[in-house]
Amino acid sequence: MRKFSLFFTLILALLLGALTSPSLAQASPFREQLVYSLNLFNGKTYAPGFCPRSEDTIYLIANENNAVSPRITLVYFWPITARYMAGFKTLNEEIEGTLELLKDGKVIRSLEKEDNVVFYPEGFFAENSRMYLDEEAHAFLQKYEKATKDYYKRIDEYYEKMREYRDAFNKFLEDLSKRREAGEELSRAQVEAEMPRQPGSPEGVRFYTTPLAKNYILNLPQGTYQIRLRARDGTIVQDSQKNLVAFVQRRGGTIGYEITPGNRWTMKESSNDPSKTIYAAGKNTLYLRPFLQDEYNDLYYKKLLDPQNEGTPERWMWVHTTPIENVLVVLLSKGKLLESIKRAPYYVKQIPGPELGYEILEYSEEEFAGRSPSFEGHKLEVSSVSGKGNYEFHLEKREGEVLKGSEREILFVKKENTNLLHVISIFPLIVGLVVFVQRKRSIS
Amino acid sequence: MRSRFSFASHTTKALVRRDFFLTLKGWGLYLSAFLSLLASSFILKSHLGAIKENNILISSDPLNFPLFISLVIVSFYLAIISVISISREKDQGTLEVLFYGPVNSSSYLVAKYIKDMLLYLVMVCFFFVYFTAVSSLTNLSFSWSLVKAIFLSIFLVSCIVSFSLFISSLTSKMRTSIIWLVGILLAFLAIQIFHTMLVSLEEEALSSSLLYLRKTLEMVSRGTGWISPFSYLNRGMQSIAIGSMRLYGMSILYSLVYSFILLVSSVLILEAKGVRG
Repeated sequence: MRKFSLFFTLILALLLGALTSPSLAQASPFREQLVYSLNLFNGKTYAPGFCPRSEDTIYLIANENNAVSPRITLVYFWPITARYMAGFKTLNEEIEGTLELLKDGKVIRSLEKEDNVVFYPEGFFAENSRMYLDEEAHAFLQKYEKATKDYYKRIDEYYEKMREYRDAFNKFLEDLSKRREAGEELSRAQVEAEMPRQPGSPEGVRFYTTPLAKNYILNLPQGTYQIRLRARDGTIVQDSQKNLVAFVQRRGGTIGYEITPGNRWTMKESSNDPSKTIYAAGKNTLYLRPFLQDEYNDLYYKKLLDPQNEGTPERWMWVHTTPIENVLVVLLSKGKLLESIKRAPYYVKQIPGPELGYEILEYSEEEFAGRSPSFEGHKLEVSSVSGKGNYEFHLEKREGEVLKGSEREILFVKKENTNLLHVISIFPLIVGLVVFVQRKRSIS
Repeated sequence: MRSRFSFASHTTKALVRRDFFLTLKGWGLYLSAFLSLLASSFILKSHLGAIKENNILISSDPLNFPLFISLVIVSFYLAIISVISISREKDQGTLEVLFYGPVNSSSYLVAKYIKDMLLYLVMVCFFFVYFTAVSSLTNLSFSWSLVKAIFLSIFLVSCIVSFSLFISSLTSKMRTSIIWLVGILLAFLAIQIFHTMLVSLEEEALSSSLLYLRKTLEMVSRGTGWISPFSYLNRGMQSIAIGSMRLYGMSILYSLVYSFILLVSSVLILEAKGVRG
């Protein structure tokens, strides 16, 4: 009994201790740590990130420029996302030295920091960008600085023209009222013709170049490597050793589609694999967005996006790299051309009612002024009725010029025959019965 | 060594003919084919129901999964009848009588292997008829990759049959053989199915315990990858999915090597243990 009481008291004390201990949901304290600040190419653009001490491998796409930079920063564990976070704003100390690249334990390259910029040809918010180094980096930066300077100059000129326009407009109004008071009769066309014209606002700089940065640039063929930082005094910087995996796509440059079904526009489908067939049941409207795409290993690609991500080495994932524009979707049925469809913007209008609750309308600036389109796509209206049967579609750059790998098939399932499936599974028994009867006959 | 693996072709032929026609005249083959196709029909019905509900489904080969289910049922049947026939012949002393004649371990096991493969070819005919009918009834595509999958299934069955011969050479009692065979095959199958299921789920959708389970299954799958006959089919199916003929050919080659190693091992074990086990 005494033993039991002792055991019970001990358990109670442990439980109370656990309850009074600091909550597990609290963020852990900041710790100074060497991390690798990353700016890696993800197949379409450059995404920043960092590799903390807890991760021993950095994953990157082979044969592309990738920037890494070892830094001392404050790292803390954020339990809500179960990830280490870096406080670069508080501490961001650059470490000087030479980055050594090793293969099979031998140093194959010693890297110094290089000037680099990331160039976004369609603006910062567009999804494609390239990294340029050294002289090219300076050239692209100068190009952007010059374009920005020219833009500000045009803005100044615009403001000056606007001021002149307002003065001229006020003077025009004064003159107009005087002339009307004097009894002059003016037609609307006459007034519009004499009215000063408002100057158009200058067009902004469409492209963007990031400020000049100095990083170690890794552009490696496919393979596994190691990196480490050698300080100026010749010693290896502690915690700077990392494994490096440079990987390539399994399949690349193929055409994939993002498909928005008209009956549930928020739940998009993908037809990435050319061997995949689109099965439909009944009438449906499909909005297609074609993309160029590459297929990567799930683990490698997710680790590339964030070294703290988990991934599955057995899985493969498609990454849409570049949207394909200025093409026609050509819809055919039994080889016969039905329609050539252009890409168009669409607006989803919410409507009250028991059915879908929305309506997808073709977007036009006049009709939906001040609102932007909900999505863009090639609209395909398909139906199993009207005797059209199955469909195929592909992309054409110009008439008759089919983009390879863009072909897909739409098949309509015959729902009415589903009950017959069980019936046809009986046929081996029928064969067995025939064999049995024959055997009986031969014996008799 | 030469005499150990030499077998008279006419003896093997006679054994194959005897066993093959005996099984063909029984009900087991047709019943297992019916059950396997019935299971496929249930899967296909739910598949069609999903298309009907969502109005759209994007899939490369919707008939491949039902084929896999049919294949698993049929291969279990073939493996079990193989084990039963060897164990029964051991138990009843038929094997001993046969071995006094021109039959030796290799001709006996090769005959059993060929008989099972011929029975599976009969099943392949059933599959072709069934899936052609399904395709015309439902409009689900009977694609070239389904043909490739059916062809590949012959090599999976070869792996399973040689695995079952290997198990029956190791054990002497019928009940023990069946328990071992079914237990191991079910374990392999469960590992593969659960692993595939967990791998197909997004990481965010998994709780931490399922994540640990996935990692454990990943390691176990890596371990059983070259032992489990089902992983040979999995490799082949992946090669079909990505359209790589090289990988497809390799997976066939791996299956043949696997079958050959197990058959040779079975012959050696049977030789070493003797007909009385």
